[in-house]
Amino acid sequence: MTVLENVTKNGTAREPLNLDQWSLEGGVWWMKRSDDNESVSVREVATAMSAIGARFITITAYQLPGAEGFRLEYHWDVEGRLLGFSFNIAGAANDGANIESIVDICEAADWIEREVHEGFGINFTGREYEPLLLREGDTPGMNLRDEVKK
Amino acid sequence: MSYEIPMGPYHPALEEPYKLDMVCVGETVQDAKLHIGFNFRGIEHLAETRNYIQVIALMERVCGICSFIHTLTLCQAMEELTGVTPPPRAQYIRVVMGELERLHSHVLWAGIAAKLMGFKTMFMTCFALREKVMDVLQAISGNRVNYSMNCIGGVNRDVENPLALVEMVNELEREMVRTIIPIFTTSSTARSRCAGIGVLTHEKAIACGVVGPVARSSGIAQDLRRDAPYAAYGEMEFDVPVEQGGDVRARLLVRALEIMESCRILRQALSGMPHGEINIGDTKLNFRTGTATSRVEAPRGEVMYSVSWKEGSRNPSRVHVRTPTFVNMPSVRWMVQGARLADTPLIQASVDPCYSCTDR
Repeated sequence: MTVLENVTKNGTAREPLNLDQWSLEGGVWWMKRSDDNESVSVREVATAMSAIGARFITITAYQLPGAEGFRLEYHWDVEGRLLGFSFNIAGAANDGANIESIVDICEAADWIEREVHEGFGINFTGREYEPLLLREGDTPGMNLRDEVKK
Repeated sequence: MSYEIPMGPYHPALEEPYKLDMVCVGETVQDAKLHIGFNFRGIEHLAETRNYIQVIALMERVCGICSFIHTLTLCQAMEELTGVTPPPRAQYIRVVMGELERLHSHVLWAGIAAKLMGFKTMFMTCFALREKVMDVLQAISGNRVNYSMNCIGGVNRDVENPLALVEMVNELEREMVRTIIPIFTTSSTARSRCAGIGVLTHEKAIACGVVGPVARSSGIAQDLRRDAPYAAYGEMEFDVPVEQGGDVRARLLVRALEIMESCRILRQALSGMPHGEINIGDTKLNFRTGTATSRVEAPRGEVMYSVSWKEGSRNPSRVHVRTPTFVNMPSVRWMVQGARLADTPLIQASVDPCYSCTDR
């Protein structure tokens, strides 16, 4: 949790982040993966972000090539600084892809989790779904998941 | 005994498709559930089938009100991926267009709010004022809705005589001070329909992650123009209006004050616009492999684009759009709880929802 502690200490001020632990790429400060935080879960990140009063922005999902699964990028704002946390999840064609829901920690993630579920067929475990953009008879993943939309 | 009242999906408050299922006891709303997706267009998927020029025209159609903002956000992300920087004059023109769009959006909203209050005279006044802003947008871009102003590395059209537009800004500000702000703040009709109605508490606003005027009217002082400046906003002086009430009146006041701040920014941008090129010309664009993210403060709040590209490809491999209404609208559930049924259209409208954005 060293990296998250770094945000807690510095995140609310306009101080620079520790470049050993964060890298600025594509307009986002990304948490670097290291031995300290290799196993950090999305719920731990959400808890740490809530604790420092960070504003949840969105989740961006990408389907990785072949059967590599998906990459989910979670974004938070801390006083104008855009923080990103990336999580890769397994899930080949027609298989389930699962990641823990953070809705109980971060209410603002409700709609976007539902949208990612409908767009890519990714399951956010520990929550119930109601349709958001899809209608009766539509298949989750039909909009953006390669093997379904084709 | 409670009963359910479905409102929508045909024009529940505004001329947009969404549905609010409300549980009421008598005239009081106990709870509500919002349904969207009635006009879902799959634009993010379509974007993957368009090249780097076509995708700008496509994303301009995400929203009919903030069309400039959407292309600005997209182009900023693509500029990050190509490593190009727009010239200073283009950055100023982007500020001018962004603030004109904010003006026409806020004045349009004020007109619709007046109509929902039953204040038709005010509706006419607001729309007459908005028309003047639209005329300026048309004079600059040639278009009234989709302006086609942004390109990768700058803008497509120059502002020929910036100082000539300052008088329009002054006239707009005079009209706001003379008519619209006093009526909205002192008229008993406006006060009785707006004060204490549709409250979103500061704590709930934080929990919902709301953005833009909805956040600022619940005491959250956030504005990307100040907190994470883009284009030429870092060179502008302006205040971020914040109200603590969290009710419809606070949302109305914040937008009214933002109109004044937009006029202030416009005067600075128009009078200080540097000479020079407006884009990078025929420079060859080389996209790198990777993802770039850009955020812009739209009239309704933060818009964010994440654009992913593979080197050598003409099309983006992924474009993700997070619009302000997508995060603001779930908070309506908390705003309408305890409200009178008759107030719910105005409460919904006070968020300034855009379902074109939400059902992108």
